[in-house]
Amino acid sequence: MTSIPGPRKSLSRNTLVTLTAILFLVGLSALFLIIGTTIWLGLRSQAYFSEIVAVRDFRSSVVELRSALLAAETSQRGYLLTGNEIYLAPYGTEKIIAKRNVDLLSRAIPASSPQSLPFARLKAAVDQKFVEMETTIELKRVRRDLDALAIIKTNKGKRLTDESNVYFAGLATFADQRLATASDEQNKNYKLLQLISLAGGIVILLVTAAAAVMVLRYARAIAASRDEVNALNASLERRVQDRTAHLAQLNEEVSRFAYIVTHDLRAPLVNIMGFTKEVEDSVSLIAPVVESASGSPASSIGKAHMESSLVALRSGIPEAIGFIKSSTQKMDALINAILKLSREGQRRRNIERVDLAAVLNSSINAVRHGLTRDNGRVDLKLEVPHMVSDRLSLEQIFGNILENAAKFRSTERPLRVTITTRRVVGDRVLIEIEDNGRGIGEQDQERVFELFRRSGVQDQAGEGIGLAHVRTLVRNLEGDITLASRLGYGTTFSIELPALLSEKEPENQ
Amino acid sequence: MSRKMAPVVIVMIEDDEGHSRLIEKNIRRAGVNNEIISFVTGASALEFLLGKDDGAAASSSRQFLVLLDLNLPDMMGTTILERIKNNIHLRRTPVIVLTTTDDSEEINRCYDLGANAYITKPLNYEGFARAIQQLGLFISIVQVPENV
Repeated sequence: MTSIPGPRKSLSRNTLVTLTAILFLVGLSALFLIIGTTIWLGLRSQAYFSEIVAVRDFRSSVVELRSALLAAETSQRGYLLTGNEIYLAPYGTEKIIAKRNVDLLSRAIPASSPQSLPFARLKAAVDQKFVEMETTIELKRVRRDLDALAIIKTNKGKRLTDESNVYFAGLATFADQRLATASDEQNKNYKLLQLISLAGGIVILLVTAAAAVMVLRYARAIAASRDEVNALNASLERRVQDRTAHLAQLNEEVSRFAYIVTHDLRAPLVNIMGFTKEVEDSVSLIAPVVESASGSPASSIGKAHMESSLVALRSGIPEAIGFIKSSTQKMDALINAILKLSREGQRRRNIERVDLAAVLNSSINAVRHGLTRDNGRVDLKLEVPHMVSDRLSLEQIFGNILENAAKFRSTERPLRVTITTRRVVGDRVLIEIEDNGRGIGEQDQERVFELFRRSGVQDQAGEGIGLAHVRTLVRNLEGDITLASRLGYGTTFSIELPALLSEKEPENQ
Repeated sequence: MSRKMAPVVIVMIEDDEGHSRLIEKNIRRAGVNNEIISFVTGASALEFLLGKDDGAAASSSRQFLVLLDLNLPDMMGTTILERIKNNIHLRRTPVIVLTTTDDSEEINRCYDLGANAYITKPLNYEGFARAIQQLGLFISIVQVPENV
């Protein structure tokens, strides 16, 4: 791929790919970081939440135990004062509640906890308190009121209650502290989550913005180079058109020039021929007179002089006239060739659908005798059945080349001509005519297309206009003809023509 | 038939003096003895035929036969043909077009403009001489109409 130089600093393709990859990776890692920390913080938040729930349960157990103990004590005192069983009704329930909460707390406080020791003491105090309360209740029930009073008077129960209250307060404070820490952590956690989400969001936003800027810049660079290419194309097209028009004009000028020159060359040639004929006629009138005069004795001119005049009249002048005549005829033939060529260049094409095989076969038939004598053979490998072109020009092109193949065959082997047609790129047709004739030397390969040029041994009649004519015809069909040849082995003519010749003439007079 | 050999003047418009001379020689050879007046430019020929004012009054009493070469240096042969054929005094004058061109379009155009004959100059001299001598025979039998 070629890089298009832009007017401003533009991104090369490689830089763009690298930058895009880097931006993509940055964006992706920011996203993963956000997801990772969100999951981690969520897990932490869950842990804190479970702890908060546990600490709340713990605290309510502490409170429940304390109120159960108080309610049990109230129940005991009521009974001891009144002896009425009615006061004793809640005692059993409160004892069960207290027992259950002690169990809950002992499960909530592991042995390793700093609270296990105070809790063990609380538990002991609670147990002893219940023992004291039950002892006094039993004594009252068997009417030993004094014994019960005596136990109470020891103040052991009061001490146990006070001790328990100290532990209750301690445990409640501990629970409150834990709750405060956990909510604090939870808050911090939330703030961290917010911060990381925000940071990640900003990173992703930046990456997106950078990518957008890059894409925009690249797109702008592409648009700029596309405009440039379009402009170049347009100017190229215009230049090609100008050039084609210019060439067509030149071609026409050359053709017209050739036409005028040949016309003007012909006029003096007619005079040369005409007056030569007049001289010839005059000489033929004079000759017998001089002849008879030379025999007459009355002649006043010297005999030797008379005889040399007779030689001039009999051979010198006729020889000179012969050369003048043959030269003018040769010149006439050459002028005719140029005229024909200039007319071909100007000829209107009659464009139609042409059956290529039929045209080739008719061209072969026209020179069949020349091609097939001495075991000569023509092979056809045709892949293109039809084309749109000028039939007459095609016939003349093929006819000329085939005639040359027949004329310039090798004397060492039977003639083989192979004609192939196939389609080539650009909607064109390639026609190759290959022979095994005597071939054309490298130095002559371009010259043979020139007017009046011939190659190799000059043992065949011709003026050297055939291939010049062929090239003019091919060019008039907007095609091209080239040859490849090896001296002594054969020649291949390659004719490339548009498959669909358009009606549009380069110029019309 | 009494007027057959009316003194018709042959007007030859041919820029190449050699051609002109050769044509004259061959016409004479065919036995035609009419006066031949040669012009090498179209302008001088038109001036002679039409007079200065295009009225052709000076030549109204004379009868012509025009031999016209199409390739002239100063004007197109067809222009001369047009001028002759559009002139009231000259329009019945026979015009024989001589040229080297065998372009059929040009030949048709000359006939459209009123040319009476069109002779392509053959390039070999024998052919040329033969054509001119035939032309001479043609001239000797042609009846030039009297002017009105």
